[in-house]
Amino acid sequence: MVRSAGPPQGADCAPAGGSAAAKPQAWGDHIRSAGPSQGADCAPNGGSEAAKPQAWGEHITLADDAIVDAPPGGERRWAGVALVIPALVVVGLFFVLPLLLSAVGAFRSTDGAFTLAHFAKALDFYGRDLVFTVAIVVLSTLLIACVAIAIAGYLTLGENPRSVALLRWLYRWPLFIPFVVAGQIMRTFLAKNGMLNHVLIGTGLIDPLSAQSMLDWRGIVIAFVWKQAPFVTLLLAGAMASLERQHIEAARNLGAPRWRVLMDIVLPQARGTLLVGLVLSFVTMLSVLSVPLMINPNSPTMITVDVAYRISTFADYAVANALCLLSLLLAAFGAAFYLRHAVQRVEVKG
Amino acid sequence: MKVRSLLSIAALGLASAAPAVAETMLNVVSAGDQNMVDYVNNYLGPKFEQMNPGVKVRAVGTGPGDSGSQKIYEKLEAQRKAGSATWDVDVAVVHQRGAATMVNEKLLMPYRNDIAAGKLVSRDTAKNALGANVDGYVLPMFHSQIAFAYNPDLVKAPPKSFSELAEWVKKNPKQFGYNGVKGGMSGVGFVMGWVEANSGMRDQLEKGPYDPNMKPMIDKSLAGLKDFNQYVVMTPGNAGTLDMLNRGEIAMGPVWVDMFYTWMADGKMNPKVKLELPAPGLPGQPMYYVIPAKAANAALAKKFIDFAESPEVQAQGIVKQFNWYPGIDPQYVQSKMEPAAWNKLFTDISPADLASKGRPFPLSDYFTDIVEGYERVVLK
Repeated sequence: MVRSAGPPQGADCAPAGGSAAAKPQAWGDHIRSAGPSQGADCAPNGGSEAAKPQAWGEHITLADDAIVDAPPGGERRWAGVALVIPALVVVGLFFVLPLLLSAVGAFRSTDGAFTLAHFAKALDFYGRDLVFTVAIVVLSTLLIACVAIAIAGYLTLGENPRSVALLRWLYRWPLFIPFVVAGQIMRTFLAKNGMLNHVLIGTGLIDPLSAQSMLDWRGIVIAFVWKQAPFVTLLLAGAMASLERQHIEAARNLGAPRWRVLMDIVLPQARGTLLVGLVLSFVTMLSVLSVPLMINPNSPTMITVDVAYRISTFADYAVANALCLLSLLLAAFGAAFYLRHAVQRVEVKG
Repeated sequence: MKVRSLLSIAALGLASAAPAVAETMLNVVSAGDQNMVDYVNNYLGPKFEQMNPGVKVRAVGTGPGDSGSQKIYEKLEAQRKAGSATWDVDVAVVHQRGAATMVNEKLLMPYRNDIAAGKLVSRDTAKNALGANVDGYVLPMFHSQIAFAYNPDLVKAPPKSFSELAEWVKKNPKQFGYNGVKGGMSGVGFVMGWVEANSGMRDQLEKGPYDPNMKPMIDKSLAGLKDFNQYVVMTPGNAGTLDMLNRGEIAMGPVWVDMFYTWMADGKMNPKVKLELPAPGLPGQPMYYVIPAKAANAALAKKFIDFAESPEVQAQGIVKQFNWYPGIDPQYVQSKMEPAAWNKLFTDISPADLASKGRPFPLSDYFTDIVEGYERVVLK
């Protein structure tokens, strides 16, 4: 509600205010009362930083007042509940229920009794793959951070407009390529006699005899970084672009080189967005089946391959469920981190 | 003017004709690789539709490997549990393990004796699927076989048996590649072949009875495979083995014969690469046509399978166009084909070799023991 009422972008301001008047009562009230703060946001260059937090604070208070002021009317509340129900039913039926069933299945023996045997088997057979999965995903996340910081930093601080434009155009391409296609590309690109080695041999960088296949853990990491780095870059470059240019210019005027501006001025301010992007990538990579299946389905491999294998070869949903729960546990670390950070951000803003 | 009125008459005719012919939809659901769905959609379906006006054949694929059959099983089981009067799968094409499970759970109807082509099958696989009695419920669509493919430029004298292979890889490290047990059935088949060759219990693995106390024997032969694996390359999947052979990254590896010939026919394969079936043998398997117990169009399904098993279709479609070994007795098929096309299928592997070294997969329970043993002994 807060977000829709007070978009910081100037473009949304005037039209939003205009159309709001035509909207149904409750919404109209709310937006109208939020109006003044919107005005503050829309003022050319948004006033100084000192004015901004105030405007936000004011805005939120006003919006809250608007909600409190709105006639509570039982009817309207029921209408709200009715609007939410379809979404809740879909989430409950197709997400929460299967999740619960899967969790229950992981602890149930064939005769229905409680058992930890499936977890014992999962850890016994696939403990190594679990460690492998964590190592791959953590390593990929770190590399993604480096790549994203480098690209977003250059997009923000680069001084050659042509190369900035070229990079901006280029870096997004992998975003539109599905994981399965990325896996397929890497499979021929990274093979022993694949394109990468051909180029390296052709340019005399390596001997033909020292060429080796990278279709193992390295292939998975390369595919993940190639696919996810643009996503994090997109978020990070956006956050960096919305920073106050004065900070950067002041540092540059005082003689700071660009890498110091990036590390000491820009990155600390965009840190939150970077972390959120990395956490989302971490969780996404945990769940990718196609890339490890195409590049390195043999041992050790990622946990997703083992889940698919337990189901397809043995119809063994119990151990597969146990593996899924273990994988969920890993993702939960990411989720906890994400939630904590998101909450922090709201508190800072509020 | 004339043209326009003719057109409008034609349009009227079409509009009224369309609803007049009630279309019956024959649903064919196929496990296995995409080429099997292509076979029904591009070859078998159109021919059957031509012979039976008003019938439309719709083929859907559920994916390669036993997981494809597993999906069909789960769908039929769900419809039974839901108490549906008719099920929306008329003909299913399934693997041996899938067929055994479905017959056991009474999800299929017996039909072999109802159709003429039922008398043309001769192989044991028409009655027995990995130790389960499926007599009457299945007809093999085709047989497929795993064999070693090798590049004769790099391998002058290919090893003729598993024991020769074990010596060979030590002299030629990283020249043999296979895809483990998680990357497709050609790798699984190689592991089965290894255990049959090295455990000395081939007959028991193939014919039973199942004895869970044999696990230590299986594990012992797998320990040898762990040692063997140090000298070989792991490939990414069935197609991955063929890819690596093509790129010269490995000199030899187990492949599906039909896939090999199809790639060859499409020009995707180095034409020099040859096949060989090592002693004591590698497994192969049929795909089965089955009819679900409550198929909506059971009579039409029988007609469809009868057509699909006719010697003409087996000759032109199964052998000539799709490079599979026939599902019915080869003697009925060979007479329907030009000798050149027939011989192409047996260039590298003679019918006699195929008969003696083309083995069935082990019984389901042993199969599970072996792949799980592979995870426990070889991968850890």
